Amino acid sequence: MSAIIIPSLGPLHLQTLILVLLVAGGVFFGLRRRRAKHRLSGDREASPDEVHETPGAGADLTVLGPTARSDAVTSTAEVASGRTPRTGDGAAAASGQTRAMSLGGDESNEWAVETHGLTKRFGTTVAVDDVELLVPRGSAFGYLGPNGAGKTTLIRTLLGLTKADGGTISLLGIPLPQERREALARVGAIVDEPRFHPHLTGRENLRLLAEARGGDANERIVPSLQRVGLAERADNKVSSYSMGMRQRLGVAACLLADPELLILDEPMNGLDPAGMHEMREMIESLVEEGRTVMLSSHLLDEVERTCDAVAIVDHGHVVRQGTIQELVHGAGALVVRVECADPSAAQQVIERSGLAAGTSLTESGVTVTFRAGSTRADIDELTRRLVEGGVAVYGLQQVQTSLEDWFLTVTSRLGGEA
Amino acid sequence: MSTTTAVLQRPSGSSPNPASALRRVASAVPTWGLITTKNLELRRRRGLMIAVFVLILGPPVLEYGFRLLFHAVDPSSYGPAGIPSAFQDLMSPMAELGFIIAVTVGAAAGTTDLTDGMFRHLVITGRSRIALFLARIPAGLAILLPVVALAFTLCCLVTSFEGVPNPTAVSINNGVSIPVNLSESQFHSWIEEHPRQALEAFPTSPGSFVDGVPVASGDLASRYAAYTSVEATLNPPVNEMLKIGLWLELVVGVGFVVGLGFGALTGQRTVTTIVLIALQVIVTPIFARAHIPYFINGQRLLVGVALNQLQPAGLASGAGGGGGGGPLHFGGGGGPLGIPPMPTWGMILVIVGWIVGWSVIGAWRMATRDA
Repeated sequence: MSAIIIPSLGPLHLQTLILVLLVAGGVFFGLRRRRAKHRLSGDREASPDEVHETPGAGADLTVLGPTARSDAVTSTAEVASGRTPRTGDGAAAASGQTRAMSLGGDESNEWAVETHGLTKRFGTTVAVDDVELLVPRGSAFGYLGPNGAGKTTLIRTLLGLTKADGGTISLLGIPLPQERREALARVGAIVDEPRFHPHLTGRENLRLLAEARGGDANERIVPSLQRVGLAERADNKVSSYSMGMRQRLGVAACLLADPELLILDEPMNGLDPAGMHEMREMIESLVEEGRTVMLSSHLLDEVERTCDAVAIVDHGHVVRQGTIQELVHGAGALVVRVECADPSAAQQVIERSGLAAGTSLTESGVTVTFRAGSTRADIDELTRRLVEGGVAVYGLQQVQTSLEDWFLTVTSRLGGEA
Repeated sequence: MSTTTAVLQRPSGSSPNPASALRRVASAVPTWGLITTKNLELRRRRGLMIAVFVLILGPPVLEYGFRLLFHAVDPSSYGPAGIPSAFQDLMSPMAELGFIIAVTVGAAAGTTDLTDGMFRHLVITGRSRIALFLARIPAGLAILLPVVALAFTLCCLVTSFEGVPNPTAVSINNGVSIPVNLSESQFHSWIEEHPRQALEAFPTSPGSFVDGVPVASGDLASRYAAYTSVEATLNPPVNEMLKIGLWLELVVGVGFVVGLGFGALTGQRTVTTIVLIALQVIVTPIFARAHIPYFINGQRLLVGVALNQLQPAGLASGAGGGGGGGPLHFGGGGGPLGIPPMPTWGMILVIVGWIVGWSVIGAWRMATRDA
């Protein structure tokens, strides 16, 4: 047969040839794998020490992106201290400690999620690009970006579902992938849409995951189902669940671990307004218990309502991160809409006053953009000038820059530069 | 949604899993709980379970059901249901169909977490991926093996209680009677003790016997094969039935593990099932019948060939060590094996190699796969 297939081989046995090919293939793939492993471990060796031993490293790394390093307004400690009324006094005290810890204390306990230079490539595509992420403990943190920005890939990399090509990760102060199991024992996560065995009931699916978790996860099945409001439908097959119910089952699966950190990928996807409201309440209650919730989303409004701090990601790169208030306020100047009887006259008065950086006429009045550094006292001054100028003022309204406006500004600016 | 806020709360900073639990999670040895849930996951696939019962229990139920019915209605035209030929004819289809359904169940077990999107959830638990893979082996076998045992027990019961009584001796050539149920060594002893009858029963060319005693081991093997082929027309003895039952379980077990490993490798249930059925039904019979120079050992590496050659003497009608290969069904067209028989240790090595090999490949892929 070998002579028929490869006549020139002569007496050489075909099985010998196959054996040689198999061995050669094994050696080739073995070498490739070893090289990749070596590259990754080489990246990881240096970084943890740098992170722990350099007091200012965190602050330096926080505000990122081509536009941001010089105006690095949001130090990592400020992100933590800016978090949240809902974490309460204890959390505030903890955030107060945060800065001290970052200046030479046990930094490993300070952040729920901490990445430095995290990179993940798929061929030539860089899905996660040198990400520096710091998620303060006890907060709701939004990872915000347009579709295809690399949000899910980042989460998969954080959880060790796919290997990083470079950089360091630590969850709850535990380095990954070195102590992955210890970290994951304290983390609950939904990645992508929550999918389960459709032919099993919700309870059976949780049982399967609880057995995999080990410990006392089995005892948490019923409380978890009650907590997400699925107790009555727990014995129905998952195939009969709506998307919202699957999202809730996903959260219940997270709660089996009694997690300190929950990572939720697009948790509002597929939910109706009532479902979104419930999910928001759920996240708030989890944060109130002292857990950290990191959620990715492209729904800006939901993130603004739910989260204390956000990171904006675009093309796999974190553009900015900080508390929503800080980011939004730092994004634009003070803007006021003036309703009046004679918009043209009002515009002239305003321009003469020297308070405005710009004005624009609308049907019912003028929109005024104040100069940089203006305060609410300048609004008072503007009102006085308009009245003195004989303009009948019907109303003044400060225009709030939303996260959405800010997000679009930031990402479009990035697009413009690209 | 927030019905019970009191539950699940715990003091900040407490570790949810003690060190011992972490060690258990890290262990590559699956826990009992993990195995039972994996078993549940397969058991609840209604379509798959129906296929398991139909393909494994179907042939004996139909065969013996009709035979029992016809014999009960018209005993003069239809003989007893449990005749030896019915038992032997049933074993090959049971083995083939058993292998096919085992491959299908294995492929389902190896891919279900991936296709249903549960793999990520499981990986996030931190549980050893190897343990997750290994838990599927006992979980799947716990479904298949009892069903095979049930089907085989049915065959044995009908053969034993609804058949014809066995004679104490079989007639070979020239009316020579040889006791039934002799093992190969017992058969050898009988020939040494009865040289004249042996010569009459197995006439041979000059020079093959010295003082009426066969000298070439090859001759002895072929004579034992001739003896077993005549004996095969009788009901197999209990120990032979037991061997046949274990062989059936082995075929099904191997099919499951190969399906599981291949399924875990490809991550695709349909592809896995089709490829392995094609291997068993088309490729194996072709390779088993063909005699390819310089590639005999390659042909022997096919698990179907090794399993066929390992089948017990009670089923074998052709030559072969340790019982030897019987006729090839499906793609083989009922033809004999074209490969010279391999030694028993060779068969065992090939079968163990397939079991261990596919288990290792499946576990490796599970451990390295992106979730």
